[in-house]
Amino acid sequence: MEYLVSTLTFTGITLIGVLGVYMVTGLTGLFSFGQAAFLAIGAYISAVLYKSLGLPLPLAAFVAMLVGLAAGLLVGLPTVRLRRDYISLVTFGFGEAIIAVLNNTANVTGGAMGLSGVPQRTSFSLVLASVIACVAVVISYKNSKYGRQCLALRNDELAAKSMGINVERLKLVTFLIAGVMTSFAGVLYVFYTTYVEPGAFGWVISAEWMIIVFVGGVNSLTGAVVATVLLTGLPEFLRFASEWRIAIYCIIVLLILNFRPSGIFGEHEISLDFLRRLFRKGARTA
Amino acid sequence: MTLQLLINGISLGSVYALIAVGFALIFNILKFSNFSHGGLMSVTAYIGYVASVFFGRYIKALPLFIVILLAAALGGGLLAIVVERVAFRRLRNSNSSVIYYFISSITMGILMENSVTIFASSNFYSYPSFFPTSVIRFGALSVAIPDLLTFLFSGSSLVILLVVLFRTKIGLAIRSTSFDTATAKLMGMDPNRVVAATFFASGVLGGVAGVFLGINYTLYPQLGQLIVKGFVASVIGGLGSISGALIGAVLLGVVEIFLIGLVGAGWSPVVIFVIMLVFLLLRPRGISGVIVQEKA
Repeated sequence: MEYLVSTLTFTGITLIGVLGVYMVTGLTGLFSFGQAAFLAIGAYISAVLYKSLGLPLPLAAFVAMLVGLAAGLLVGLPTVRLRRDYISLVTFGFGEAIIAVLNNTANVTGGAMGLSGVPQRTSFSLVLASVIACVAVVISYKNSKYGRQCLALRNDELAAKSMGINVERLKLVTFLIAGVMTSFAGVLYVFYTTYVEPGAFGWVISAEWMIIVFVGGVNSLTGAVVATVLLTGLPEFLRFASEWRIAIYCIIVLLILNFRPSGIFGEHEISLDFLRRLFRKGARTA
Repeated sequence: MTLQLLINGISLGSVYALIAVGFALIFNILKFSNFSHGGLMSVTAYIGYVASVFFGRYIKALPLFIVILLAAALGGGLLAIVVERVAFRRLRNSNSSVIYYFISSITMGILMENSVTIFASSNFYSYPSFFPTSVIRFGALSVAIPDLLTFLFSGSSLVILLVVLFRTKIGLAIRSTSFDTATAKLMGMDPNRVVAATFFASGVLGGVAGVFLGINYTLYPQLGQLIVKGFVASVIGGLGSISGALIGAVLLGVVEIFLIGLVGAGWSPVVIFVIMLVFLLLRPRGISGVIVQEKA
């Protein structure tokens, strides 16, 4: 039971990170290889503030999210004007730079040895509540004017621009919201695992989150949620296959990409409205 | 001292050039960043190691080294064709959007890296030393023999590639397909064969690069993640431009060596990131200035 709860807690924390990637990649069509760096920022800043300076946890979490915002501005401001490939490169470099900084400020962060001895303050119910709040934020963003502009931007940047959408500002806003959300996930992460090391935040993590979004369906929030549960849960349940599980996971992803390239859910969402329509259709045929 | 660092930098840069050109070849023809190249380099580094154990009983030193390079290059080329078949052929036939290639290549890369982990476990291996670690002196300069050979072998692989690209029929086919796939098809070229040939060439370069990486560092499954150096170099040079990738890679190698001398190995990724950011702001199309158009 405890094992199940801990798996679910980790899935929840990953889900918040994936939601950030969903906004940046799924909605807006940008590739961020540095998303995991925001996780590192959130985790390290909050843990150091709480442990070394004795700040109360909510304040530490708030400051960590502010720093995430500032880092997002630092990376985002110069890059939103660049081509898409370059955005992925710059975010990538940003992620690697953050890891290098963490490794080289050993007196504060513990360097490559990691930061340990953080008290465990995150509980499953807190994660669940956070996930619900974040999903709510993403749903309302997707259905807002900004969300629709993002979709237009993703499908055709030139056309979106000519319709009068300020694409640069839009990219920046989306990137910042995602960054703050991921920093928050970082706070939850460190106060759950009680231990962090720089190696846990490499670009492979960011890449994995992107894979999850694609498996779920590029433009489907439901898909992102379902895929997170499946793909972060799957390696756990494949544990009997020990070292083969990541290979199996990759093969499944390749199969989905090859035979159902729009992802499990494609562009569809499961919402109340959708269920109601499904029910009506069923009633009519009956 | 400065000249000494420059020479070391060029030697490192020539290995980066192998990676960057292999990367740029694929970008040229399919217009996406092929991250599976990293996984491929991991596998070929191990292929080279297996070859060194197998042939090490019969031959030594330079002949052994050449045999290893050939084995890794051939292995890399064939593996790249398999990768193309498994990960990209179907996507190409269904005219998928570029982002799917991207995701597919990352997954394929992780898969290859993981296969290495399964078969070789995460133990560290290292290549036997092929050459005496002595130096050749040119006046006040000393060049380590491994550095010199690295430069010679990667340089000649690149020259061979350029000859194939610009002097042979298949090279012409590759260049015309990367210019315009539809027209090339109308001229009677089989895109599947041309793409397979491109992947083979890229895999050969990846194979050679894998061996050099394995010699310079120890062998470990995540070795291929050095692909990022190639990625950075080819972006600095201008995505999809072969000559740009070459210049970018040598530049990156030299800058890296100088930075390690100046600020230490730990901080150099941070400085490189800042340089890259400034560079992209000043000249977003890269050194070569080829603009890959997103829209006709």
